[in-house]
Amino acid sequence: MSRNHQGARLSSTEQRLRLRAPDDVMQLERLGSLHASRLSFVRSLVRQMAHEKWNITTTRFELDALGHGVAIYCLQTPSKRYHGVIFSQALEDSARSDRVIAEAWDVTFGVVEGDVDDALLEQMAANVPLQEAGRQHPRLLVLSRANRSLRNFASFLEALSSGQQPDPEWLTRVGYLYRTTAVYGNGKFGIADYDRLKDNADFHRPFSAQMLGVYLLRHFSIQQIEHMARARAPETAAPLATSLKRYLGIGNSTGLGMAPFLINHPQLVQRWVESRELALAEVTAQVPGEQERSRLLALLKRAETHLRQTVTDDHEQTLRNQATVASLPELMTWLEFVPLSPELWQELIDWSHQQHGLEAQELVNTLLLELYPSIVDRYEDLMAVEESLELTPDMPLVHLKQVIETHYDWALRVDFSLAENRHWFWYRSVEKEEPRLGVRDTEAGADKEMKLAIAPRDADTHAAISQYLEDHPRALVVEFLIQCPRHKDIVRRIQSMASTSFGEIRANLWARDMKPMHLLRTKLSFFGASRFDPKSDRWVRITLFQGAPLVEELNAEPQDPVAFDDWSFPLAPQIARTVLPEMTADPRQGNTTTVGGMS
Amino acid sequence: MKVSYNELHGLCRKAFQAMGFEDGDAGDAADMVAWMQLYELEGLAALNRGLRFLLEDTDERPPEIVYADGDLAVLDSHGHSVLKSSSLALELGFAKARARGLAVIKIQHCHNRQRIMGYLARLAGRGMNVTAFWRNAQDVDEAVGCPMIEQVVGFRANSSVPEIRVYAVREVPEENEPNDGITLVMANHVDLLPSLRSDYDVDLLACHEESKLLACRQRAMQEGIEVDDELWSRLKALSTRLLVEATEDSRSGAGAGSTDND
Repeated sequence: MSRNHQGARLSSTEQRLRLRAPDDVMQLERLGSLHASRLSFVRSLVRQMAHEKWNITTTRFELDALGHGVAIYCLQTPSKRYHGVIFSQALEDSARSDRVIAEAWDVTFGVVEGDVDDALLEQMAANVPLQEAGRQHPRLLVLSRANRSLRNFASFLEALSSGQQPDPEWLTRVGYLYRTTAVYGNGKFGIADYDRLKDNADFHRPFSAQMLGVYLLRHFSIQQIEHMARARAPETAAPLATSLKRYLGIGNSTGLGMAPFLINHPQLVQRWVESRELALAEVTAQVPGEQERSRLLALLKRAETHLRQTVTDDHEQTLRNQATVASLPELMTWLEFVPLSPELWQELIDWSHQQHGLEAQELVNTLLLELYPSIVDRYEDLMAVEESLELTPDMPLVHLKQVIETHYDWALRVDFSLAENRHWFWYRSVEKEEPRLGVRDTEAGADKEMKLAIAPRDADTHAAISQYLEDHPRALVVEFLIQCPRHKDIVRRIQSMASTSFGEIRANLWARDMKPMHLLRTKLSFFGASRFDPKSDRWVRITLFQGAPLVEELNAEPQDPVAFDDWSFPLAPQIARTVLPEMTADPRQGNTTTVGGMS
Repeated sequence: MKVSYNELHGLCRKAFQAMGFEDGDAGDAADMVAWMQLYELEGLAALNRGLRFLLEDTDERPPEIVYADGDLAVLDSHGHSVLKSSSLALELGFAKARARGLAVIKIQHCHNRQRIMGYLARLAGRGMNVTAFWRNAQDVDEAVGCPMIEQVVGFRANSSVPEIRVYAVREVPEENEPNDGITLVMANHVDLLPSLRSDYDVDLLACHEESKLLACRQRAMQEGIEVDDELWSRLKALSTRLLVEATEDSRSGAGAGSTDND
């Protein structure tokens, strides 16, 4: 097909030639500069919900004046019914912690496959609030909990109960009323295995059930704050303005617990990154027209404003945001005035690569993906994979040596005899198995190290293979492993991953200058996180679903799917903070299937 | 209590690591136990019976090749459990069968042989037809209720479940020395499923067909997997050996702030 046509498909060869080099893409700092994109899981979920006309109704909303009690939401998809069950309880300030070592939370919730009868609700009420300490039901697809943002909660409640709208600026600092501190799936604590979802048309994509749980919590947070305002001041309370509801997301607070997942699922990471890169490669080959240019300019402008409105106390992240914002005016001017050429998008990427910081470069890539939904959205169904790392035992050992030298050269370049390159060790604490980092030779626990650092293991195995080959130059891999079985695990990984380009994060996780924050952001960007707000170099708060369509908009079956999907980089609404009409809405009105009962 | 497959696999892997298994061996052993439990073949009960043996087995010798040619190999497992020692012997057979069309592997002196099935499933998943055969290791004496029992497990290439036949042989052959080995046949291109011959006098003790095993799997995914509470606690206690004691330094190593009341 001619490249004069919009949405032109590339041959696989040309697409491969346009791919960015893995050595560049998989650098930890670049991965730690990614932004949420239209392939992120929250975006995919919202598109899927709209496309398939999912419907969400409130079937129980029994909260007291302080917002404590139970809420149940019913989700009907074309094929199945699910329920979100939320327990809200009083929590002492002294017990409020975002860490995994916490034992109580403001709300706890689960997403159930099928209906919730009294017996199941009773079982959930006894176990879901306990989270890890409970024994969860196998029909739960997701188990999660969240804590209130006390400042936002207080200011929202104060404003709404007095008939005012909260100041949107509150949400530029913290974009939510609740932040989750863990969202569990895949069999944790007795809930359903992911295997059960693989053939489920609704939730076969990675983390889509978890994202649905978060989306339901967002809906609950809106209903709950309005309910509390109404209970506090029935005469004056105002409903939350729709634009503010849209600007309200759900936070997530996370630490090193995300790191093991990224290292232990290289085939999944490969799919996520490769899909994004293949989509980008296709996009760069498109011949832009004025329409695409105007659209990209508008997106750049919106992203610039969004980043200006993103407030974080973290100095380094503030500087990164400012650097990105500073890059954009020149980029927009350039884009406005250069002639439209067939390679314009590639030129833009190349120039940005030379001139701008990593976050600005990745912002350009993210926004380019927005221009061609028909090309990019095909990749969202390629994000899942059946994971399996297997040996190729009959491979000649000398071939394996070559494979390591070709595909893991980045690991072999590190000198592990230097103290700075073996500084950290990763371990799990006896406190709820929380992953932590310790300084080798200084802190206790290195003898129980988690083998997350792949690079030193690659180098160690390469050295052992080289030595073995001196005496056995024609040996097979299996013969080497029978003599040196401790290398079996890493050989399996190397052989399985050698045919891929984007599965291995090319960093030494032992290195003193390694920044765990980059690992967290890598995963969170694929979730669809915005407003990265680091609290240390290994702890971050982010926001999900800020700007996303509301449940009532979803239920109204949107006529314009493009507009419905256009909610990235949301902006603070302009709100007249005057008294609005008295609130009369009951959460169940208009969308209730079974008032006060169960379905 | 009921647990998920992922929980079962994860806890077994940690418990095996805590017992001193290398990471690769721990993952393989967890696969084998969880696989059996998933198909209601009592993987955990078998693990429970062999747990003491595993904990006391401090012999670090890897399996040793006693004899090998192009399509045959004999390995001495030095009395280890197959959970710890069989995977590479099986991979050797896989390599030979790929090269020669058919391979025979004999693993001598190994324990807990039934648990090898989980690894055979992985080989089958990689396109290999596999059949394993073993006899009971105890002294056979039918008079005291200890008949000679033979077990045959056959996987069709690319099938996740085997056909299993367990039977007692009434006509005990003269050569019936105690046998703690296992014999495997792997074939690239032909099925090797077990089919009992009727002209021998045997008592069929167990017959697991592919369809029944698949139903077990479906049930486990829907309802969870039943485990013994006491064994579960024991495995959990074992797995804590991998955890590091908490100190003030280590708490700061998580990187979180001191308060979340904001």
